[in-house]
Amino acid sequence: MSFTNDTRYADAVAAVKALEGSLLTRSDMEQLVSAPGGSELNALIRSKKGTDAPLSLENVWSLISSYAPECNDLKILLYKNDFHNLKAALKALIAGKEPEKYYIRPTSLDLSELSVLISHKDFEDLDDTIRNTAEEAYELLTRTLDGQLADSFIDAASIRKMITASDECCSLIKRYAQLTAACADIKTAYRCALMKKNRSFLELAIAGSPGLDKEELITASLSGTESLFEYLSYTEYEEGASLLKTSPAKFEKWSDDIIMELADEARLGSFGPEPLAAYYIASETELKNLRILGVCKEFGADDSTITERLRRLYG
Amino acid sequence: MTNGMVLAIIGAALAALLAGIGSAKGVGLVGEAASGVVSVDPSKFSKVLILELLPGTQGLYGLLTAILLLSRIGIIGGSPVSLTTEQGIAFLVASLPIAIVGLISGMVQGKTAAAGVGITAKKPDHNGKAIIMAAMVETYAILALLISILMIYNIAV
Repeated sequence: MSFTNDTRYADAVAAVKALEGSLLTRSDMEQLVSAPGGSELNALIRSKKGTDAPLSLENVWSLISSYAPECNDLKILLYKNDFHNLKAALKALIAGKEPEKYYIRPTSLDLSELSVLISHKDFEDLDDTIRNTAEEAYELLTRTLDGQLADSFIDAASIRKMITASDECCSLIKRYAQLTAACADIKTAYRCALMKKNRSFLELAIAGSPGLDKEELITASLSGTESLFEYLSYTEYEEGASLLKTSPAKFEKWSDDIIMELADEARLGSFGPEPLAAYYIASETELKNLRILGVCKEFGADDSTITERLRRLYG
Repeated sequence: MTNGMVLAIIGAALAALLAGIGSAKGVGLVGEAASGVVSVDPSKFSKVLILELLPGTQGLYGLLTAILLLSRIGIIGGSPVSLTTEQGIAFLVASLPIAIVGLISGMVQGKTAAAGVGITAKKPDHNGKAIIMAAMVETYAILALLISILMIYNIAV
């Protein structure tokens, strides 16, 4: 019986369970949807959350990482932001702008160091996670001056890095990486099919993910959206593909919902990194829902449209 | 000191040692989980404290067994009896149920109680259910204690 390995992060998980009570429930969300306007919505959010402080994922991250600072599994959740920040730094360098306002937090990177190193083109001293990608993306960007290609290259690199790093992680993180990768590849293939991108672009932009054959996905995308949907209908992502056919927004919601479904199962554990990762994912989804809600209210969307767009919450 | 006496003393030591280790690990784990909850909501201290105490009993059972064994062989009381090797082995074996079950059940109860801390953290009104689930593990430590005591009292000296 491996007592210490089985029971890691007992304190962090218990703290997170105490904090789960402050996450918005489905009935809270229904009340928020029926708020008549933006100011009423904000007042209701403040009363539900019991705080006037702005909600921030950075706070959630710093809390989780203060309890489990050595938990490498959780860092994979930040790859998305880390690689976004790399894109921001590279584009700012090319455009001659300051990158700070384009950065997303939380991130595992030291952002001031990132800004300095990228501005000096000192790729060697960058964090291991992004070092090679930064150098290759910079070379690609300066050679082709195609920002979209460089973006897609960095996105694909982040997915590949996530898949590789998740090999040694808990089951939730492994599955999270696989689903994130597959959904990102499907979205990329769909957009490329719409924009009639060529094979060399697709080969750079599609990361390759478990459950999807990269070559077949590229071929299907090159043949157009119908061929893409036809190929996807034989994969485990058939349901998502049928939603993508009707609306990309519905596919986005579906891909967020399947990840929340994973988190919902993982939160039941009492030890290990899974419940911590699940709490971070749930907090991220809650913030996404509040943003959707705010934007929809601002543009006067009706309640049923808002409800349709809201992501799944903890069950 | 005879070989029998040495074996009997080893038995007493194992009962206190292994059951104590089980309890220390169990209580430590629940303490970790409880600290996590209390750091977020200090008002739950008293509720999680009950859960933290539960895995501590195995250590007490081990201590009780060791005292009874030492008393039976006269170490406590100042007049040690003369034990044959067979009698020493019998006392050693008698101490094993609480030593082994105490070690394992202390750790397992710690895990169950730490998981129960999660229930208390989210739904404080259901704290009783968490206590009952953790207390179920106690049954087997009590059975082992009973067997150890019966054996210790029925070895002819």
